Amino acid sequence: MSKHLLKKKSTEEIQDWQAMFAQWAEEAPEGPLKRYYQAGMIAPNTALKDTPLLALDLETTGLDPQHDEIISLGLIPLSSKIIRCQGAKYWMAKPEHSLNAESVTIHEITHAELAGAPSLNAILDEILIALTSQVVVVHCVAIERQFLLEASMKAYGYPLYFPVLDTMDIERQATFKPWWQRFGRRPSLRLDACRQRYKLPRYKAHHALTDALSSAELLQAQISYHMDPEADISNYWM
Amino acid sequence: MDVELTEILEALCQHAPFNEIADDPQLKDMTKEIEIQYVRAGEMVIAQSALNNTLFFIRSGAIEILSKDKKLIRRMNEGELFGYASILRGGKSSQAMRTIEDSLLYRIPARWFLKLHQENDNFSDFFQLAREARLRAAMDAQNSDVSLMTCPVVSLLRRPPISTNIDSNIRVAAQIMAEHRVSSLLITDGDELIGILTDRDLRTRAVAQGLAYDTPVSEIMTRDPIVMDSGDYASEAVLKMMERNVHHIPIVKNGRPIGVVSTGDIIQKESHGSVYLISDIYKQTSIEGLKSISQKMTHTFTQLVVADANTQMIGNAMSHIGTAFVKRLLQLAEEIYGPPPVPYCFIALGSQAREEQTIKTDQDNALILSDKYDKKLHGEYFEALSDWVCRNLDECGYTLCSGDIMASNPRWRQPLKAWKENFSEWIQKPKAEALLRLSIFFDLRGIYGDKTLAKQLNQHIRQQAQQHSGFLTFMARNANQRKPPLGFFRQFVLDGEGKQSRTFNLKERGIAPIIDIVRVHALACGSDKLNTLERIEDIEAAGLLPGGRAKDLALALEMIGMVRIRNQKEQIEAGEEPNNHVNPEHLSSFEKRHLRDAFHIVSRQQEFIKFRYAGKRS
Repeated sequence: MSKHLLKKKSTEEIQDWQAMFAQWAEEAPEGPLKRYYQAGMIAPNTALKDTPLLALDLETTGLDPQHDEIISLGLIPLSSKIIRCQGAKYWMAKPEHSLNAESVTIHEITHAELAGAPSLNAILDEILIALTSQVVVVHCVAIERQFLLEASMKAYGYPLYFPVLDTMDIERQATFKPWWQRFGRRPSLRLDACRQRYKLPRYKAHHALTDALSSAELLQAQISYHMDPEADISNYWM
Repeated sequence: MDVELTEILEALCQHAPFNEIADDPQLKDMTKEIEIQYVRAGEMVIAQSALNNTLFFIRSGAIEILSKDKKLIRRMNEGELFGYASILRGGKSSQAMRTIEDSLLYRIPARWFLKLHQENDNFSDFFQLAREARLRAAMDAQNSDVSLMTCPVVSLLRRPPISTNIDSNIRVAAQIMAEHRVSSLLITDGDELIGILTDRDLRTRAVAQGLAYDTPVSEIMTRDPIVMDSGDYASEAVLKMMERNVHHIPIVKNGRPIGVVSTGDIIQKESHGSVYLISDIYKQTSIEGLKSISQKMTHTFTQLVVADANTQMIGNAMSHIGTAFVKRLLQLAEEIYGPPPVPYCFIALGSQAREEQTIKTDQDNALILSDKYDKKLHGEYFEALSDWVCRNLDECGYTLCSGDIMASNPRWRQPLKAWKENFSEWIQKPKAEALLRLSIFFDLRGIYGDKTLAKQLNQHIRQQAQQHSGFLTFMARNANQRKPPLGFFRQFVLDGEGKQSRTFNLKERGIAPIIDIVRVHALACGSDKLNTLERIEDIEAAGLLPGGRAKDLALALEMIGMVRIRNQKEQIEAGEEPNNHVNPEHLSSFEKRHLRDAFHIVSRQQEFIKFRYAGKRS
């Protein structure tokens, strides 16, 4: 694979999460979420290499954020160079509706295991503390962001937003070629397929912590191939 | 919330040694402290000589290990570990590790590795076996790891000493040994070390003899075993083991035993050729065999230099090798000419006596004969023996001494009585000219035969020297003969001729003057040491020099010695004969700066001894 650096964002494209956090800190209702926003976010001109990153993965009962529920969440901290197992965290959450058989087979999480777990509301405060001031790393931002936003609305009546490095989007940019250079199908952007491109080992998917680790490792590989650790984080976050 | 990094733990446990200790609950805790790193192909993971405190596990990808001279030692793949050798050594990596594929590495903190290594035998066995298996490969790859040459013997100790009291019986002793899985047991009386009992003793002195289980250990133990001090080099332990044919040496600190070093420990640590070279020397039965070994010497020498051994260690190793040649030749000579009719001692003089030999030195030796020697009866035997040994030393690369200071010269093959008279004469009626040539005799070490002869002669020399201060005056004056090239930056003060005209002689102008200065002080304070650094310690202890000055001398010697040794290594690599000539243009600015400082020290100290031992006339 050749070293193909991602394009830098133009001034209009750049988002200032620090400023947005300050605004939400004003608006959010008193409580854990307000404290989360008040703790703030790093400045957009922070270098990628100095950015505190936190890989996150959720397992859910299905794909619809409106109806389906989060049943487990894994977090693992990293920097642009190193993943630290020491700060890894994992929660299971008991869904309000019962699990269907299909999602049980995907997750290998059983009813019995979930029966003993706390409700998502009960652990959301803890999760917010873990997320404080971190830029989140996920594979496919849409899912994680939506589910957490729903959970936050339900618990606090106010949305939870956080800046994200999306390994899927990074991969899309890295593998992007204009149509006249394309030959055959677009490369797959599935987590496992992306990892294989960087010769990363294959993991059993669908455990929140393993998948978080999975995307953390993928980001390390992408950084070493396509990103500039000295560049501002605002070029990459979304 | 129990966070389990199943994926990581499972990956580790698919490979040795973790698969063997998969049930160790500590592994889970260790996993939590792992860091993960993605490294692209062609990047350095551990640089040469970098400090390393991480055990690396290759989760995916491949790594190559490179020696100091950038040669490939071996490749490692998924599931293999690296970095442990430097952790075990507690410091720098002697090799470089580089990715040859994009790799995902698990970084395990050194303290976990050390903890498991200490607590779990299955775990530590893996690394020991791995190391032994790689030993040959590493040597074949001319990889140099002189850990043994450079580490103190205390670093080989793996546990506190296992001991029992002198009044135990052999059954109790054997039980303790079995329980602790050790092959030797120290026998003590209170704090005092009385003896040592080994597996071999139990086998040959107890079981094979059919002794009763309640026989006291004191009956089969080895009394007053050979011990070493915790500060001694590990290489010395090896030499001692081979010399005395023992497999265990108790290590003492301030007189108390702190552990035992066994041949097993050494094999684990050893991955260097110089000690093998010595044991090979003793195995040879022909001159041809010895000659072929002598051809490997330059290689051993360069290995030591490459591996950053200091001059003291190199001098020590080269001298022991030189001594091994002499001993083996004398053993062979005694097979040819028969056992000696009267006791004698073969003595080394000069650098070999000081254990400061480098590569390619002349032979300087002599023979002290017992006072029972009768020239008519025994003259022929010793003449033949000495001629044979000196001639064959020459064959082995220790060229004949141009000044004819060799055992083959009848003048230097005399009974102890005559030697004593010689020295009395030299010391009591010193002549500057003659003493210049004779200074080499004041570094004298018995290396084969009846060493008490050499000891008596050294005693005589010390006594005489201390009683005759006039002698020291002459020695001090002679030590001022050769001046260091102080101005070598501004105008080159060069010594050579022809090809060497742009060089100066480091031995003549730097090393020899230091040795001379130190010898004068050593004689003045009655030191019985021969090695220059050891003499400096005695001189410092005797307070002969103002504070710090003794250490300055040691530093200057190391600095000049190191430049000489590196220069010789480069000469060897360029296919030239190594010598003592250095071209200042070839020195780095670092070397120049330090050489200048060293030469200034030498110069000041030369001035100092002129006044210190001024005598009556000045």
